[in-house]
Amino acid sequence: MRRILLIQIIFMAGILSLEAQSPEERYSQAGGLYGSGDYSGAAAIYRKLWEEGFRSEDLLYNAGNAFFKSGDNASAILFYERAKLLAPADEDIDYNLQIARSRITDRFESVPQLFFVRWFDFLALLTSTNTWAVSALVMFLVALVLALLFLTRARARGRLLSFWLAITALLLSFLIISLALRNNNLVNHNSKAVITCSIVTGRSAPGETGNELFVLHSGTTVTVEQELGAFLEVRLPDGNKGWIRSDCMEKI
Amino acid sequence: MKRITTALVFLLACLAATAQEVTLTVEAPESAVAGERFRIIYTINSTDGQFTPPKFDPSFSVQGPQQSTSRNVQWINGDMKAVSSTTLIYYVTVGAPGTYTIPAAQFEAKKVTVSSQERQIVISAGGSPQQAAGQQQGQGQVKAAGDAPASGSEVSMKILLGDREVYAGEPVTGMLKLYTRINLSGIQELKFPDFKGFLKEDIETPPLRSLETEVIDGIQYGTGVIQRFVLYPQVSGEIRIEPAEMTVLVQERTGARDPFFDDPFFDSFFSSVSTVPRKITTQPLTVRVKSLPEPRPADFHGAVGSFTMESSISGTDAKLNDAVTMTVTLKGSGNLNLSGEPVISFPQGIEKYDPKVTVKSSGTSSGTKVFEYLLIPRNTGTFEIPPISYSVFDPKEEKYVTLRAGGFTVNVTGTPGQEESAAPVYIPGEDVKYLGQDIRFIRNGKTKLAAISSPLVSTLYYWLWFALALFVAVLVLVVRKQQIRRNADTAGVRNRRAAKNARKRLARATALLKSGKKEEVNAEVARALWGYLGDKLRIAQSDITRDKCYIALRDRKADEEMITELDRILTATEYSQYAPVSEGESPAALCERAATLIGKLDDVLD
Repeated sequence: MRRILLIQIIFMAGILSLEAQSPEERYSQAGGLYGSGDYSGAAAIYRKLWEEGFRSEDLLYNAGNAFFKSGDNASAILFYERAKLLAPADEDIDYNLQIARSRITDRFESVPQLFFVRWFDFLALLTSTNTWAVSALVMFLVALVLALLFLTRARARGRLLSFWLAITALLLSFLIISLALRNNNLVNHNSKAVITCSIVTGRSAPGETGNELFVLHSGTTVTVEQELGAFLEVRLPDGNKGWIRSDCMEKI
Repeated sequence: MKRITTALVFLLACLAATAQEVTLTVEAPESAVAGERFRIIYTINSTDGQFTPPKFDPSFSVQGPQQSTSRNVQWINGDMKAVSSTTLIYYVTVGAPGTYTIPAAQFEAKKVTVSSQERQIVISAGGSPQQAAGQQQGQGQVKAAGDAPASGSEVSMKILLGDREVYAGEPVTGMLKLYTRINLSGIQELKFPDFKGFLKEDIETPPLRSLETEVIDGIQYGTGVIQRFVLYPQVSGEIRIEPAEMTVLVQERTGARDPFFDDPFFDSFFSSVSTVPRKITTQPLTVRVKSLPEPRPADFHGAVGSFTMESSISGTDAKLNDAVTMTVTLKGSGNLNLSGEPVISFPQGIEKYDPKVTVKSSGTSSGTKVFEYLLIPRNTGTFEIPPISYSVFDPKEEKYVTLRAGGFTVNVTGTPGQEESAAPVYIPGEDVKYLGQDIRFIRNGKTKLAAISSPLVSTLYYWLWFALALFVAVLVLVVRKQQIRRNADTAGVRNRRAAKNARKRLARATALLKSGKKEEVNAEVARALWGYLGDKLRIAQSDITRDKCYIALRDRKADEEMITELDRILTATEYSQYAPVSEGESPAALCERAATLIGKLDDVLD
């Protein structure tokens, strides 16, 4: 009896998987909807794919476009920012993000990051966290082998070379580990968030009692500093801080 | 004198009368109600002659004739004109409904006999018994009943609409009509409702002078259109039209009625009549306005009706900076006034001005609307004005119809800036014109949708790999170091003691030499050398050969001289083992040479 049930379950699962469209099909279906002008329909499919855990810079870029075209600038910025984390060097994403940003209410004189932080972040985002992690491990192994060679070879010739190679490989592996950690921080533990409410007040304390400090509109990107209940302390691009309701923003 | 003048005038009048042609006209209603009295009037423009009445149908009860004659003498611009006429009025009542013919009447003048036209009269069945109501003057027409006035009232008014169920924007023709069974002397204070939800456009209506006769449900009414208009519904839904109000002046007889001469003509003479104002209103109406179906085409600009569209252009070859006029004509019936202008995307380089719009409406809601676009080409070249598409809603077919009119290709020639030929030529550059800004298009190619993966760096086992690698490396290092140390122990000891052992063996060889065992000396020297080489070059005694030794020595940068010397000594020792001692070198010398060589090798190999 249990066996029959199991077979039935497997059978039904098979039917379901046959009926359900593959993510790639849904992706191209959304592209078709976008082409025919149904922007909100396309945006819904892209967003669903994202929520189901599928990642691709094209998916996020297209999602941003669909949201932009359907008039939801905040979501468009959110998805462009997400796409940018997967492809920091993509010029189209930058361009569209800039256009979407030009359509939102809040304007900030943002403090630019130090150049080496920018470079380091750019380098960290060149590939995925796991690629960095695996290459760091490989580089570490190379450093170990070189170190063993250096330590075990009795002869003087080649010893010096293996010593310097080992030191270089070790330093490289440390660099790559830090890149992997930075990438992980940027992509998976991003503290940035985009305001989704059309208007929200920043207060000096969590709760509705704090003094009102500033007013933000949808589409503004903020950095989350800490969380307390339903309130988040955010830092604005110009450096000011305030507490905002957490349901008024979505993390990148 | 006065009499003569009068006689002369009379004579002249008679002359004039005889000179003109004699006519006999008949005036009779085309319709009447059975049992009601109507009049047949014969008019003859002469007084001199014999009138023969027509042979009326036997069912006609005829009263009369009532005869009157008149003579008029007129001077117009010095010419005298005398007009005389005879009028005969018959009062007729017909009992049974039907169509009757009034035969021709005849008039015999002095020289000629004229006859009147035959007339048809339709007698309809009487509806209400109040047949004594006044007759109306003027010729009536029988109209299809259906727009009956409120029954029972003597005077009423009605708003008549062409259609009661229309689409928004569709024009509805309507009129305000008056129905009366009594004499009216005038109209006062016409108040239209405000037609909420409609746009009302009045159509020019001639002022109401005479009423027409209409028989509705067997009752004869005098009717007249007060105002015609067109309504354009602006909102959808059930729209109520509030009543219109009007005050009419009713003539009421105040004196006693004459039982014999029951006729308004005589009434007005024999009884006193007063004018009384009476307020009348229309019934409220509702019109069902349907909203236009969605989705509306992009090129729909509010035009509802049936139209045709044409486009024309003043010329397809244009001079630079010379105006060209393009005309789009919308023709047909519908809400022309509310139809927006078509959107034409003129090419860049042609300056376009807002169109001049002219509406020519003929009568009601049909006509033409002309959009005149003034275009000034600012660049030379060939410009393509795309075909125009304009959607209108056709309420009869209940769908949108897209009208199309052709586009044009305009060739613009000319040289720019000819007027300033004397001045040095300055060609102003033109920046690229950016028409708008938009995001870039999506990527439609294939993409690799990677499922989200948990980052390795946040898992413990990733870091354990590092620890494991380090542990394995340390282990390998420790094992290798131990091995090396062990090897280094035995080999090092042998290495360090190699020279010592060799010297011991050589010393023993010297001792053997002294004791006279010359044969063993060479063997001992050979053993000393092989042992030394094996220990120093770290080659096991089991697989030591001369070649291996030489290679190892060359590796250690030993002199070729030393290697030759070594080779010679080794050859000598081997040779002496198989040959008599006397032959060859003396063992003492060999010992000496071996000791010297080992000393030298020690310098190199240490």
